[in-house]
Amino acid sequence: MRNLIAFLQRFRIFLVFAVLQILALTWYVTYLSFPRNQFLTTNNNIAIQFLEWEHDLTKHFNLSKNNSQLQWENIYWRKRQPQFMYQLSRSKVKVNDTVYEQQYTYIPAEVINSSVDRRNNYFTLNVGSVQGIKRGMGVFCQEGVVGVIHYASKHYSLVKTVLTSDINIDVNIRMKKSDLPGLLKWDGIDARYGMITGINNDLRIKKWSKVETRGGSGIFPKGIPVGKVSHTEPIEGQALWKVEIRFAADYRRLQRVYVIKNLHLAEQTALEARIPEDE
Amino acid sequence: MNVVYKHIIRFVVFAFLQALVFNQLNIGFGIHLMIQPLFIMLLPFELTVIPIMGIAFLMGLVIDIFSNTYGLNTSSLVLMAYLRPIVFKFYGPREGYDPLKEPTSQDMGTNWFTVVYGILLGLHTFWFFLLEIFEIGRLGFILQKTVLSGGLSFLLALLIQSFILNSKQKK
Repeated sequence: MRNLIAFLQRFRIFLVFAVLQILALTWYVTYLSFPRNQFLTTNNNIAIQFLEWEHDLTKHFNLSKNNSQLQWENIYWRKRQPQFMYQLSRSKVKVNDTVYEQQYTYIPAEVINSSVDRRNNYFTLNVGSVQGIKRGMGVFCQEGVVGVIHYASKHYSLVKTVLTSDINIDVNIRMKKSDLPGLLKWDGIDARYGMITGINNDLRIKKWSKVETRGGSGIFPKGIPVGKVSHTEPIEGQALWKVEIRFAADYRRLQRVYVIKNLHLAEQTALEARIPEDE
Repeated sequence: MNVVYKHIIRFVVFAFLQALVFNQLNIGFGIHLMIQPLFIMLLPFELTVIPIMGIAFLMGLVIDIFSNTYGLNTSSLVLMAYLRPIVFKFYGPREGYDPLKEPTSQDMGTNWFTVVYGILLGLHTFWFFLLEIFEIGRLGFILQKTVLSGGLSFLLALLIQSFILNSKQKK
């Protein structure tokens, strides 16, 4: 017993060091996959208050650019509204044989805290569970896809962006005859470039072909832009392409985003839960 | 001014400068400016290592909460606090440190500060990026980030120290 106490006395500095390190690293490893508690993220009340003040100061810096972007978006949709178009064929009877139902609604939000130069980048949004935000909802901006909601507190939420190591969003590379499905990844070097994995190298990929969301998992609708293929090279020892893409959105100066609420998601997950596990 | 109050004020100022100013700067090239190691460096000489590790843990916690890094800063700051007395002892004067002096470049000389803070900041930054990227195959990228971020953070530390000196001279 005395030996043990003497041992602890002698190594107590290292023991304290080891305990603190283990605490910090456990926190790092567990929170990266699933944050259980909002207190230790920017979503806690004190941190968010300071970030809001900071955002109130800096949000005006890009104001004119953001306004003109919104104006362009309005023009884009206005051009596609049938009521503003000239009608070419007048004497025909219009038969609408397809019935549509709304599947997605969009919640506007503002980014109040962001980073792009870490290995895993998270954005804080000013909408939360009060507005109906839940973990797993998709987030996009006018130019392209942004990420997935990682944690939602009452008034704020945390987005796991495409600039993280394990984001894995289903994407398509749009080709002339068929679409190539793949998974979006990020290697942590440049916020302007991402990667797509899982494409066999017997298929030819044209440079600058468009990359869009596939819409299979119900998080994103089909066809939200992701980027364009900027470079392809074969991976050594594997029959796969290494596809580099240039992101459509500039995440370094992102301010306004939309959160996607899929109205059919509960139905889809309930249905997919019926798949037997053993088969 | 009381030494304890001085360091509490420094804690708050450094934490908020890091969280609200330097975390928001996106310089590019993977550069990430960090001033919180300077706070650990500037703690008084006579403080023993266990309280320093406690303070480093708290500081890291605050920075991590503000930047959503989940314990990365905490881990690297605790490592730096653990190594601080060892490096200080290695480069210290033979008769020990003068308790009236502070570990700044003004009190201890720029050469001493460059060597000691350079080593500590380098280890802190290397550990930070090693944990963050966590791929041995990309050691070159980790080293590039360490050298760029560490170098710029070091220059920033010298700048901040000159501000502290100026405020002393006015009194």
